[in-house]
Parts: sequence; C-alpha cells; structure tokens
Amino acid sequence: MASAGASAAPAGLPPGLDSIDALMTALEARAYFADRRLATAVFLALRLGRPLLLEGEPGVGKTELAKALAGVLGRDLLRLQCFDGLEQREALYEWNYAAQLLHLRAADGRMPAGDLEQEVYQPRFLVRRPLLQALQAPAPGAVLLIDEVDRADEPFEAFLLEYLGEYQVSIPELGTVRATVAPVTLLTSNRTRELNDAVKRRCLYHWLDYPDRERELAIVRALVPQAPEALARQVAAFVQQLRTAPYDAHFQRAPGIAETVEWARALVALDTLVLDPEIVVDTAGILFKQRDDVAALDPALVSGALRSAEQAVA
Amino acid sequence: MTSTSDPASGPRPHWVSQLGDARRGKFSGNLSAFGRALRRAGVPVDASRIALAQEALQCVGVAHKQDVGAALEAVLVSREQDRIVFREMFDAFFRDPELAHQLLARMVPRAAREAGPPRTRPRVRAALAPPTAGQPRAESDVELDAAMTASDLARLKEADFNRLTANEYALVQRLAQDVALPLPTVDGRRTCAGWRGPRVHWGRTLRAAARHGGDVMILHRLQRRPQPLPLLVLVDVSGSMERYARTLLAFLHASTRHVRAGGQTLPVNREVFAFGTELTYLGAAFRLADTDAMLLAAGDLIHDFAGGTRLGDCLVSLRRQYSRCLVGRRTIVLIVSDGLDTGEPEDLARELSWLKRRSRRVLWLNPLLRFDGYEPSARGAAVLHRMADAMLAVHNVSRLQELAGAIAALMKR
Repeated sequence: MASAGASAAPAGLPPGLDSIDALMTALEARAYFADRRLATAVFLALRLGRPLLLEGEPGVGKTELAKALAGVLGRDLLRLQCFDGLEQREALYEWNYAAQLLHLRAADGRMPAGDLEQEVYQPRFLVRRPLLQALQAPAPGAVLLIDEVDRADEPFEAFLLEYLGEYQVSIPELGTVRATVAPVTLLTSNRTRELNDAVKRRCLYHWLDYPDRERELAIVRALVPQAPEALARQVAAFVQQLRTAPYDAHFQRAPGIAETVEWARALVALDTLVLDPEIVVDTAGILFKQRDDVAALDPALVSGALRSAEQAVA
Repeated sequence: MTSTSDPASGPRPHWVSQLGDARRGKFSGNLSAFGRALRRAGVPVDASRIALAQEALQCVGVAHKQDVGAALEAVLVSREQDRIVFREMFDAFFRDPELAHQLLARMVPRAAREAGPPRTRPRVRAALAPPTAGQPRAESDVELDAAMTASDLARLKEADFNRLTANEYALVQRLAQDVALPLPTVDGRRTCAGWRGPRVHWGRTLRAAARHGGDVMILHRLQRRPQPLPLLVLVDVSGSMERYARTLLAFLHASTRHVRAGGQTLPVNREVFAFGTELTYLGAAFRLADTDAMLLAAGDLIHDFAGGTRLGDCLVSLRRQYSRCLVGRRTIVLIVSDGLDTGEPEDLARELSWLKRRSRRVLWLNPLLRFDGYEPSARGAAVLHRMADAMLAVHNVSRLQELAGAIAALMKR
C-alpha cells in the first residue's frame, strides 16, 4: 500500500477528490471547465497545501475558479479584493474603537487603569477582516481568494509572505491566532507589476490562457443553455478568431470568457439564430469595452472573421 | 482503491525510464539535473523548489507524461515568460538528457563566458592603477557627452554599451547625489501616524487614553503617506543618440531609484525601455543595484544599438505588450531622444496622443538643445515638440540641475 505512493487524501480534502480526473469532473459539475494543466495545478495546491498564484489576461476565469473550488470543497469563500493603499486594518483586523470608547466611559472610575486596558481588548471588540476570518473559519475551513494582489503595494506583499508561510497572525493585545484548518488560498494577479520573488516562491504558479474552442463552447453551453447549438458554435468560433492572428492585431484587448458569455446572452435576448456582420457590429459594445476597439470591428473585418470561423469549424 | 495510477503496475512508457525510478534513487538525481538545466537556461529554480517538485510527482504519479509536465510546471515556473523555455526543456530533457545539455550549451552564451578569465571592470583597474597627476575636477558644465569626456579611445571605437570608465563613474555618482531629481509625490492612500490630517488614529489615541484611566488627552491623527508618481522612461539608443544614451541611462538609473519626501526615502516605481528600431524592456537590468552591472545587462538586452529610430512603431509595441505599465493616468513619461525619427509622423502622432491620454505628463528630454538656435524642425521632432508637455535640455550638469526644477514646476501646472 505504502509503495503505491501517497494514496490517502490529506486532511481537508473531501473523499472522491483523490485524482486529477475526479477534480476536473467535480469542477465541471460546477460549470467550471478546467483544462488538465490547470486541474493538475489545483490538485497539487490542495495536496501540497500551497497557495496557488493565478496569472492571466482579464476575463479568463481566475476569480470564477475560486468560486467553483469553494463549491467543490464545500468550504466558504472569503474574498479579499486588493487595491492601492490596502492596509492591515482592512485586510486582517481592526478594533471597534467606537464600542471600546463607550465601554471605557461606562467603566470609568470603577476599576484601575490596568484592568480597564484589558477590559477593552476583548475578542468581542475585534472587527475581523477576510484574512483573519480565513484563519478562524470552522471546519472544513475556507477558500481564501486574494484577488488582484498586484494592486496592493509591496509592504502588503511582505506581510502576505509571512501570513502565507505560517497561517498565523499575532494580535498584540490578544495573542497569536493560529489557523484551525489552513485555508485553501488562491491569489490572482493581472500583472500590472511583477510580484515579489519571495511570494512567488511560496506559491504554485499557473498562467491561465484563453480556453480552446471546444472548452469555450462547453462554457457557453453550460452558462447560456437557452442559446441554440448552431449559434453557440458560431459564437465560440468567432471569438476564437478575434483572439488569434491576424485579427488580434486590430484590438487593444481581446474579449475574455466573461465577454463571450455576456455576448451569447445578448444574442439570445435579441432572438438571433445566426451571426451576421450587422448584428456583430451592433453588439460590439459587449465584446469590447474600449472605443478604439469597438470602432476597429467594422463590417469588413467581421465578415472576414466569420468566414475564417466557419472554415475552422469545418 | 484505484490501482490505475500506480506507476509500478502495467507497462512503463519509454520516457519514464529517462526520469528514473524513485525506489532506486535515480529519480531525484534526474530531477535535480533537470532543475540545474532550467537554472542555466535562466529560469529561477532553487533547491526547495526541487524538493517540492519531488513531492508533487509523488502526488500525481509518473504514469502520464502530460501530468508530470503540468505538475513540474506548476511548481518550477513562476513567471509567464518562463513557460515556453520550460516546455521546450521538458520535452528535450525527458527525450534525451544528453541532447538537452548540448542544446543548452549552444543556447546559453553565458555559460561559455563564465568559463573565461574574469574581466575586471575599468573602474577597478583604474582604482588599482597609480594615480596620475592633474586629474581634472568635475565642474558643473561637464558635458554628458560620452565622446567628449572619455579619454579611452579604444572604448570609443567599440561604440557599444560598455562599462563606465572611472571618470564617468565618478561623474554619474556625483550627479546622482548632487542633482536630486525631485520626482513629484502625491498623497497616497496608505496612511501613517502623524499630528495633522483629517482622520483620528483611534488605535493610538485609545492606547494613550487607556494609560490615563480612559481620558483622551491627545488626539493622534492619521496622515496620508506621500507616494512617488510612477515613472516610465523611454531612452533612444539609435545611432544619433549613442553618445548620450549610456551616460543618461546611468544617470537615470542612479537618480530615480529613490525619492525623498517628508523625511522618508521612498522607492520609485519605474519602468524603463530602450528604443531604436525595436522596443527593449530594461526592467531586469534596472533592478540591478550596481550601475555598471545595469549597463552590462542593458547592453546584452539591446539588439538595435546605434541603429535607426522608429519611435512610432516602438510605441505601438509598448501599447500592445506593456500597456499595464501605465496605471490610472498617474505615470510621468520621460522620452529621452533627439527626435530624429525615420517613421511616419502620422503614426508617431497617433501613438503619442495615446500615450498622453494614459499618463500625467509626457516630457521630452532632448540633448540637441545644446546647440543655439535649435529648432525642432525634423519631422519626428516637430511631432514630439507639438505633443509633449515640455522639451527640456539634458546635455550637461547644470542643465540637469535645471531639469529638476523644471519637472517640479511642470507638475504644479
């Protein structure tokens, strides 16, 4: 038994998720269509207990993965959205100062100053933010999504390094809080800047690409079930063409999966059965969010891309 | 229990024998050889990663080559640009490790260079040489023109990104110290404790109050921390600029590293590109602390040194590949160029207007302003003059000192 490798799932991994295939199937049941590479990376992150850093173009499903994974594992999803100027008190914890002040007033004169200080630093005055919540989540633990970590600044990264290494934080007034169950941590980055090497070394890494046509078609089918099959095929093939040469050169940003799905929904709402250049140009604002890109999608380009899409399908 | 993933049972694929067998100890040896090969190809892989990779392989098993590749990639790669190298190396290595080593020997000139005798830097050699009489003192009108300050004729003939001579090094160091480029700062969104500011630092106030029996004696405040504006530098390395490019790169490297504001030294978020006929990202070189090392690395990266100038095309590749450098219209763009552009002026104007829309200020640092009566009449120069927020001179030390003031004045506008 032991010679067959580690066959027993480590604590925190639900039964039935002991192989990459099982994980892929479970994610698919949550309408998340991961390719095998991604599934391997997620599987390893779970088995090795390492955070997983996901990078990729906007709209390739980084955040969605965390949601699907939380569903699969039956854990709560805790999300920390990073932004410029994120500080510890927004990420970790903060004291409820107003309540403390009221308490101080009420207790005034009834106890010596030392006791008073202890009196106001009780867990009930603590406002817990996502990183602390993730440590204190009851079994089976939480899935922690640290979204767009590149938007926060470097001091925050340094703090994160310590957090991800130990899964414990110390609150000077209360003592150390240790994770009961280590959270499954996913970090995402849009690469507005390179992350610190030390943080990267702590994590497993996966670059999320745009999906291939078959996978994108599966996503459209799953998320827009009311779309006719022929339309779904056309939509997937057309978007695929926009992302590849020579069409991609015309746009500053290629449409992501989220845009494809939104577009399919819009086409269904407009009772479209077959794509034609006119309807594509009319709905360009859903695929592209920049004026130059919308303008670049002219009828000539669209009919060219539609023709190539048809050839690709055939 | 599923036995399909057991690598021991069933016929073993050919490539598994290359990977070796965990139970005979060959496996880990091969894995670390693979790690070494990756490292020589420039992928940062350390021993702890190799150990983790071994664990990972035990998790996924070695029955499917695809899974092994994906698992090793998840563990060993941590940058987008390393993925291609990794995949090629993986394929080559596990088909034939010998072949991979041969490939590597051809691919990486660095290995060959390291085998040679260590070359000392000119400034080390100069420092060891006996002092010569009458060393010229650097004055404030010292030209930043490499062709005029350098005495080393051999170096001039090379006309390449070279290391600095001792004189140049001293000059650049002195410049960086004397000419504080007061890159503008704005009030950031992070805060620190202070005495002024609109918000009360409740934590500190209460901690102080608790020491006085609950009486608030002093209101501590939160004030906004100053934050330097991000910087994007585009340096022209074409033929007409080769006399200035090196020294200016060295100067910018030394002087824009930190900015002093409010008694603090703050690191500047800067992105640096060289452009000639193509755009070269110099981020890796500029992260090196040593100016010599930076120039050497930049020289390795730049392939179009002393060629033509096509700023318009280079801005197109900036927009396509690196538009993530320009965040939220805060960036200050410094274009160091003489404006002798050979591309189409319309393209240049279009791309410059994009750049302007995405940044706070576009400043054109022009070394040709040294000549009296200079008019930006060349086609590219005219466009740059029209589009840039300001044209500033950078050819000597006193001009650089003025530059600092000019930038500050421009930011207030």
